[in-house]
Amino acid sequence: MLKMQDISKIYRTDLIETYALRSFSLEVTAGEFVAVTGPSGSGKTTFLNVAGLLEDFDSGRYELDGTDVRALSDDARSRLRNQRIGFIFQSFNLIPDLNVQDNVDVPLRYRGLAASDRRERITSALELVGLASRARHMPAQLSGGQQQRVAIARAIAGDPAFLLADEPTGNLDSLMARQVMDLLEQINEMGTTILLVTHDPELARRAQRNVHLIDGQISDFRAYEPRPAPSGAADAAGAALA
Amino acid sequence: MLGYYLRLALRSFARTPGITVLMVLAIALGIAVCVMTLTVFHAMSGNPIWWKSDRLYAVTMDNWDPSAPFDKKQPDLPPPLMTYKDAKYVAASGVPLRKVIMYPVDATLSGTGAAPLRISTRATTGDFFAMFDAPFLYGGGWSAAAEDPPQPSIVLSRETNDKLFGGSNSVGRTLRWNDHEFRVVGVLDYWFPRPRFFDLIGGSFQPPDDAYVPFAWGPALSLQSAGNTDCWKPETINNQQDFLASDCVWVETWMELPDVATRERMQTLLDNYWAEQHRAGRFPRPRNNRLTDVGQWLRDLHVVDNDNRVLVGLAFAFLAVCLINTVGLLLAKFLNAAAVTGVRRALGASRRQIFTQHLVEVAILAVLGAALGCLLAALGLAAVHHMYAAAHLGQRGGYQELTHFDTVGVAWAIVLALVATLAAGLYPAWRVGRTPPAVYLKSQ
Amino acid sequence: MNLHIRPILSALLRNRTGAILVAMQVAIALAVLVNALYIVTQRIEKMGRPTGMDVENILIVQSAGFTAHYDLKSSIQQDLAWLRSLAGVLAATPTNAIPLSGGGSSQGLTIVPGDRTKNDSFGYYEVDEQGLDALGLHLVAGRNFRHEEVEPPITLDDAGRFVGNVILSRAAAKELFADQNPLGKPVYDTLGKQATVIGIVDPAMNSWVDSEHADWVFYMPRLTSALYGGVRYIVRTRPGERDAVIRLAEAHLATSNPDRVIHFVRPMTYFKDLSYLGDRSMGIYLLTVTGLMIAVTCLGIFALATFNVATRTKQIGTRRAVGARRADVVRYFLVENGMITSAGVLAGCALALATGYYLSLEYALPRLNLYFLVGGVLVLWATGQLAAWQPARRAAAVPPSVATRTV
Repeated sequence: MLKMQDISKIYRTDLIETYALRSFSLEVTAGEFVAVTGPSGSGKTTFLNVAGLLEDFDSGRYELDGTDVRALSDDARSRLRNQRIGFIFQSFNLIPDLNVQDNVDVPLRYRGLAASDRRERITSALELVGLASRARHMPAQLSGGQQQRVAIARAIAGDPAFLLADEPTGNLDSLMARQVMDLLEQINEMGTTILLVTHDPELARRAQRNVHLIDGQISDFRAYEPRPAPSGAADAAGAALA
Repeated sequence: MLGYYLRLALRSFARTPGITVLMVLAIALGIAVCVMTLTVFHAMSGNPIWWKSDRLYAVTMDNWDPSAPFDKKQPDLPPPLMTYKDAKYVAASGVPLRKVIMYPVDATLSGTGAAPLRISTRATTGDFFAMFDAPFLYGGGWSAAAEDPPQPSIVLSRETNDKLFGGSNSVGRTLRWNDHEFRVVGVLDYWFPRPRFFDLIGGSFQPPDDAYVPFAWGPALSLQSAGNTDCWKPETINNQQDFLASDCVWVETWMELPDVATRERMQTLLDNYWAEQHRAGRFPRPRNNRLTDVGQWLRDLHVVDNDNRVLVGLAFAFLAVCLINTVGLLLAKFLNAAAVTGVRRALGASRRQIFTQHLVEVAILAVLGAALGCLLAALGLAAVHHMYAAAHLGQRGGYQELTHFDTVGVAWAIVLALVATLAAGLYPAWRVGRTPPAVYLKSQ
Repeated sequence: MNLHIRPILSALLRNRTGAILVAMQVAIALAVLVNALYIVTQRIEKMGRPTGMDVENILIVQSAGFTAHYDLKSSIQQDLAWLRSLAGVLAATPTNAIPLSGGGSSQGLTIVPGDRTKNDSFGYYEVDEQGLDALGLHLVAGRNFRHEEVEPPITLDDAGRFVGNVILSRAAAKELFADQNPLGKPVYDTLGKQATVIGIVDPAMNSWVDSEHADWVFYMPRLTSALYGGVRYIVRTRPGERDAVIRLAEAHLATSNPDRVIHFVRPMTYFKDLSYLGDRSMGIYLLTVTGLMIAVTCLGIFALATFNVATRTKQIGTRRAVGARRADVVRYFLVENGMITSAGVLAGCALALATGYYLSLEYALPRLNLYFLVGGVLVLWATGQLAAWQPARRAAAVPPSVATRTV
């Protein structure tokens, strides 16, 4: 599904070079729920940007669905993001002047789907996150938890192969955070691979597998009590762990 | 997808109505000023007889003062008018297909029951109408036989015919021209070549004359030119014969020379005549006999004045400022919304899609700017027209004739607005398309 | 006072596109402003030249005989007698042409008979003893024409006849006689016929406002011949009575003599305005477009400053948090704007001079006066500061607490 080998990413200024990722390797199989943790400055965001094809990297190899992304043009990367990846951000990043359904619509538009198809996907995605009744609300009219659920609906409406979640509960209180995490688990159980980037060990505990980043490198594997793997992905996950 | 981009653009305008209005206004102002200036410039620099302008030639010969050129600012040009004797001589030639000698005179029309009418009359030879494509409503011109001795034949302009005969077919009717009985042989239809290329001396944008009579009536009745009469030579002029024989220039001469061979024959004829006269003591300046086509004639006589060239430059400088302003505003606006663009990129929009989305927004601004610009230009031209019309006490002629906003002008305005604004929007749209998506996604 | 120019400059250079665009606008605006104002000033000077004539209170009648019964002299006498009898009329004269109208006659004059080295041409007007009064001209030396000096009209049979006496404009006298006293001295026409200078008027203008020497003019005591389109009467009224006299004249003269036609009765201002129409509309157009250009530039400066403030809210808050006063924030943005404007002004000076040079070369306009450049620089600089003032104030209103907010 996702395979990174020896990825390095360097930020250069006139004076210094900073390794954000240093020989970083990770393999994620379909259906997994992986948490990437680490303190701030450890390279979590860089990892997310590289994994989400938002940024280039300097060396190493990154395969997504068996495709080497290094060789891809900006257009092909955009298409991959659009069709294979769903993003969930800490600050939701809803487009403030589009209402809920138009926000969910955005990736579908860029995919060029027919209107009826888009309508169906929007409805089912909003139903899944429990916000079908708020389709015409503007983001500012929703609570933080609701906004994040809209963002989740937007991320999954296009049936991506995996979700990239960047501190999805970072701006939410604990009750809302729990709801969002429940939703992510539910989506994972339906077969979507999830990569969760967080600094919070409590959240990371809910993933099947943990990757801990320090200074752009994986420090060790720390397995928290894994919850029962979803039936469909269990074998694959098990195989990867083994 | 286009519909989606249009909707996004409208939302974007709604989000920043102030800046949107500013941009449309800036574009519209730039376009309006350009269109106004170019409309006047275009009308001024038009060639009203382009379809045969390379067959029509003004004839000039330098008979001027040996110690000074006619026009110190253009010393290589002969006087624009000819002496009576030289004009008569070259017009007797059989070389040209058609030829015209003429001058304007003031006259009074009476004897029609209406109050006497002070009019401007062109004393001209009969080829005038066919040569300059003056359209007849009724009747026609006069034949060469009507010129020597001159027959009392008169052609009226449509406006004059309307005033005197209520627009009816007056061919065959009689009237008194300068208190001599004349018979109407023809009535012209509306005809207003701008500029009035065949007589630029009495005002380039004045309407043509009110009536036309055979040339010989002018000298026969000792009528002085209502245009220019320029003399350089100290000559004693004690009667009309002296005047006609003098070196004063006052006759405008035109010829239709259909091909190069004819033109060369005419040039040779002029040069031979010049040589013969030069030997007899005339033409003290170096030989300078010219056949000037319409385009060059309009340039030589400065129909487009310097002020208007300066104004065209000014208009484009203004458009440049307006467009640079628009580029700045667009850039600020697009980059201000870079976070949203980053989200779109993350959600899978390609650079081209982002670029197109913003270009659609720019295109709408261009259309609005062009429309408003045309409207402002039309209003501006109407205002200028009124200003000039007021200065002319409501009479026709002068700059006010140049302020008409034609369909070609509108089309050009729209093209200009679209091209200019799209060009202005290209860079901001490109720039925002290049924005790296990751930068704006983290919360501040 | 330390303006902290270096950090502002380096911040500017890192984010330069907007600044460059504004500087470009300032540069073009300066070049246009300076040259346009210079041209407008010249036109205003040209239009404001003293004419020496009471233009506002003069009306012009043009009359043309057209029948065999028409007698020029008696017609003139009748018309003049009637015009002079009107209560509002101060003076009236027949003449050959209308000063300032663009139409008229001119001829060469010399102080040596037959001298053909100079080719100077002087506008002339045939007037009678009321001529100077009718025009409102001011006699500065010598005397006016007397009634008995007024000569009969020339005809085709003696078209070369000159007059016994002439009155010159001071400019014409200066051209002909330099510093000598011209009174009583002879002048000669191109055929060498002699007249005596009996008076000098100043100022005065001929018919052609665009000519190089519009003030070269002389007056001849002679009834006009009507060879060129008829007789013009110049009629000067008491202030405020011109229009009433025009209405009276239109009504009476149209029917007073069936052998002639009245072409028009018009105020002299009509002809003057028409002659200066091109200059006036050029001035109006230049001022309007230049004004709009400054306004658009102002908007550009305002928009850039607003944008800069909006995108730097956090930074401003941080500055405030670490102790910057409101005045410091305002100053930051004004200095930033000042630097952008200065860059534009610098480029604009070069552009203005180049434009001025081009105009003088291509269109024979006079070379740019440098005072205008200095003035234009000051205007644009002040305009820029003014346009940035409101956004700078808004920046100063950003509370320091912004620094600690996350979203």
